[in-house]
Amino acid sequence: MSMPALRRAGPASLGLSRLRANGAGITIAALLSLFILTPLVNVAIWAFTEIWRYPAVIPQKFGFRFWGDVLSRGDVHLAMTTSLSLAAIVTALSALICLPASYAFARMDFPGRNLFFMSFLTVYAFPKFGLYITIATIFLGLGLIGNFWGVVLIQLVSTLMFMVWIPVSAFQNVDRRQEEAARDAGASPLRVFWSITLPQVLPAISAAVLLTFVNTFYETEVAWLIGAPEVRTVPLLMVRFINSELVVQYGAVLSLLLWVPSFVLLMLVRRFLGAQALGRALGA
Amino acid sequence: MSRAEATRQDTKGRRPIGLLLVAVPVFLVLSLIVWPVALSVFDTLTVETPSGVTLSLDAYRFFFSDSFSLRNLWMTVQVAAICTALLLAISLPIALYLRFSTSRLTGYIQALALFPLFVPSILLAYALIRTLGPNGTVDILLSAVGLPKLASPYLTIWGPIIGLVWDNLPLTLLIVLAGLGNVSRASIDAARDVGANRVQLLRYIILPRIRSTLLVAASFVILGLFSAFTLPYLLGPAVPEMMGPFMRRTIIDVDDPLQARTQAVVTFLICAAFAYFYVRSIARTRREQSS
Amino acid sequence: MATLEIKNLSRLFGNTCAVDDLSLTIGDGELVCLLGPSGSGKSTVLRMIGGFEEPTAGAILIDGQDVTRVPPERRPTGMVFQSHALWTHMNVFANVAFGLKLRRLPKDEIRRRVNGSLATVGLEGYGERKTSQLSGGQQQRVALARSLVLEPKILLLDEPFASLDQHLRERLREEVREIQRRVGITMIFVTHGQDEALAIADRIAVMRDGRLEQLSRPDRLYRQPQTEFVAGFVGQMNLLQGAIRSNVMSVAGIDLPVALADGPATLALRPEDIALEKRGDDGGADVMRVTDFGTHLSIEVRTRCRQRLKIMAPPGTGWSAGMRATLSARKFSVYRDGKLCFMPQPCDVRPAAAA
Repeated sequence: MSMPALRRAGPASLGLSRLRANGAGITIAALLSLFILTPLVNVAIWAFTEIWRYPAVIPQKFGFRFWGDVLSRGDVHLAMTTSLSLAAIVTALSALICLPASYAFARMDFPGRNLFFMSFLTVYAFPKFGLYITIATIFLGLGLIGNFWGVVLIQLVSTLMFMVWIPVSAFQNVDRRQEEAARDAGASPLRVFWSITLPQVLPAISAAVLLTFVNTFYETEVAWLIGAPEVRTVPLLMVRFINSELVVQYGAVLSLLLWVPSFVLLMLVRRFLGAQALGRALGA
Repeated sequence: MSRAEATRQDTKGRRPIGLLLVAVPVFLVLSLIVWPVALSVFDTLTVETPSGVTLSLDAYRFFFSDSFSLRNLWMTVQVAAICTALLLAISLPIALYLRFSTSRLTGYIQALALFPLFVPSILLAYALIRTLGPNGTVDILLSAVGLPKLASPYLTIWGPIIGLVWDNLPLTLLIVLAGLGNVSRASIDAARDVGANRVQLLRYIILPRIRSTLLVAASFVILGLFSAFTLPYLLGPAVPEMMGPFMRRTIIDVDDPLQARTQAVVTFLICAAFAYFYVRSIARTRREQSS
Repeated sequence: MATLEIKNLSRLFGNTCAVDDLSLTIGDGELVCLLGPSGSGKSTVLRMIGGFEEPTAGAILIDGQDVTRVPPERRPTGMVFQSHALWTHMNVFANVAFGLKLRRLPKDEIRRRVNGSLATVGLEGYGERKTSQLSGGQQQRVALARSLVLEPKILLLDEPFASLDQHLRERLREEVREIQRRVGITMIFVTHGQDEALAIADRIAVMRDGRLEQLSRPDRLYRQPQTEFVAGFVGQMNLLQGAIRSNVMSVAGIDLPVALADGPATLALRPEDIALEKRGDDGGADVMRVTDFGTHLSIEVRTRCRQRLKIMAPPGTGWSAGMRATLSARKFSVYRDGKLCFMPQPCDVRPAAAA
């Protein structure tokens, strides 16, 4: 770039035109920040507040007092244990039955393959809550309402999407010729799967596992409909805090406590998947 | 043995294994989706009489003559319509900006717009109550600048609308963004070249190309809204209520599984057309991906 | 029909400079090609003329009016894009008519002008077709008609035929040239193919790294390249590094009288400007390879200093690999620091004495 040319343009005209072009962007960014961040920032402030009397703009006293309270509550411990074991069991079961199935869908040929594969689309075809209602009426007769395993069973169905669709496309994306080349070099089929195929699909499978775990952990509707009142998960505890807890901070602390790990896990997923793929996995 | 024969034998040998591997998930889909839905449709359409099972529309007749049910349905339709309109109106400009701007702001805007994906809706409900509810942030800020309190949207129809828009923004945006990916920059440039201004670009070039995408996005939102539960329950009014909370109350509190199933089947029917568009588009994306 | 004046135009993308202080003037009814390798900034210049990129510095004037900050929809320019950029949701007629519709012309005038424009590009009766039913060449014709129908002052073409096969490209290029003569419109044509530029342009602007290397008539560009880059880029050229000592440049076994100060220099020789003479003894150059193109022979030789040269000889002169030859130059030019610094007038050229 020749300097005289730049100097002639002058910094003022340059800055102005860039600003004008970005006016729309600044407006969008500002409005979106307000809309998306206000509720979250608000909760974050509440979590570290000890006294905040209306109508002060800034809390009168900050502190960690309520963190100790929340962490020592028995119902919080119980809910955490329930939610963690629920999420762990559902994720493990889902991986156990779905991963082999996704390999079969991607790589094997068997009668009815396309039909079976497309049958998973029925999960998208109904408003979910209506679907849960129809299942619940059947569970009523089987005594599975208020039962831990009833909740596991339904959540298993809603995780099929992540655990089948994501790995299937990952398996399909592995170049067959790479596997054939490995066979050619003398590797056994098992060895090929272990050294060639698995490393390439591992990011996608990790993403699917994480998504399943996070979604199951925060799942509110099935737990409420099928599990309540016997199965007490963390989201249900949160509902109780919202409905009947007078101390605002309990909910705020629990929110923050819950949200940070989910955020970290989902950022991990995002690293494995990319925005569009993540969107597709969630049904966009 | 020729190569072709070898492959054929190979696949023949694998067939039962493939079926075996997919059996459990397929069984789950059949027993926990197809069977309950089919059974609900059958049971709500029939009554048991001494002479056997006969067709009867009584359950639906009750639903459509009960003013309470109709008010709840009507509120759900209203919320769905408003949310869909709002979501498209919000996500279209954002998507256009993200698609066609080269500014450095796009990274921030995209991260922000996708952020709700990382916030479970139960936590959102709590945050919105603290923000919009009585003596919440909005009230505090209004009183700080000396303005009177606004009527709080909390526990009105606008509570769930705000929450559902917040919650559904990322995925709606991603759908619209994917659709805009098919509109090439050159075709926009060509239209500007022959004299189209921004409004005309949108109306004659961009919108015609993404019409089906917008339909899919709307279908996705509507399906989600008819099954929304947590946000309407926690943020919305008790009477009338949206179909989600209504169905739960009918089956758990009122203990009337038949009416709850009727309500569920009604939501299925209302959503059928949208479900068709939505599922068709998902199937198409999968096919393109795998080919 | 218009004149275009570009003054000190620059465009930065981040820290890279796509166009650097470029100035040129294009006359009324002229067809100018912007020629250069990919990444030379030629498309960026075209997009700035069309209004699709904003210059970082400099000005663009059409008929004396400054349009530098005018958006494309209000510029008197029409652009034909490389990817033709037809609107696939409209048929051929609607594509061509769109710009007229935006100008709210009466229906029958639109019809008349669209049909006229389709006729100009040889697509009468194709109006109702979908754009996807057309071949690549036809699609590009529609794009051309779409721009021409608005009667722009300047028509801009951004490598319009790059995606077509050689044969079709040549035919469309002739048609464009013919339309340009008939309509008398000012045209700027971006291409990276020198054949294309030499075939249709009134003048060619050779670009490299965002700078203008040379703007000349095609024949001048070929015969009097002003820079070493142009010499090497347009047509075949043997570029030989050597040195000048006491007014003699000796390289590749050729000594040439050059009235320049001592120092390193580059000798440029066109293949057709080198004469070959058969030679029996050990001196001269080895003939490595001979390819018979029918119209001429292309001969590759290697000199004693291991330099390779391409030489063009008349057919039937009986050259074959393994023979030895003496070289002499009928015409040459000398470059120093990339710039032309010595070029004898044709009458001055005397075959120098063989080494």
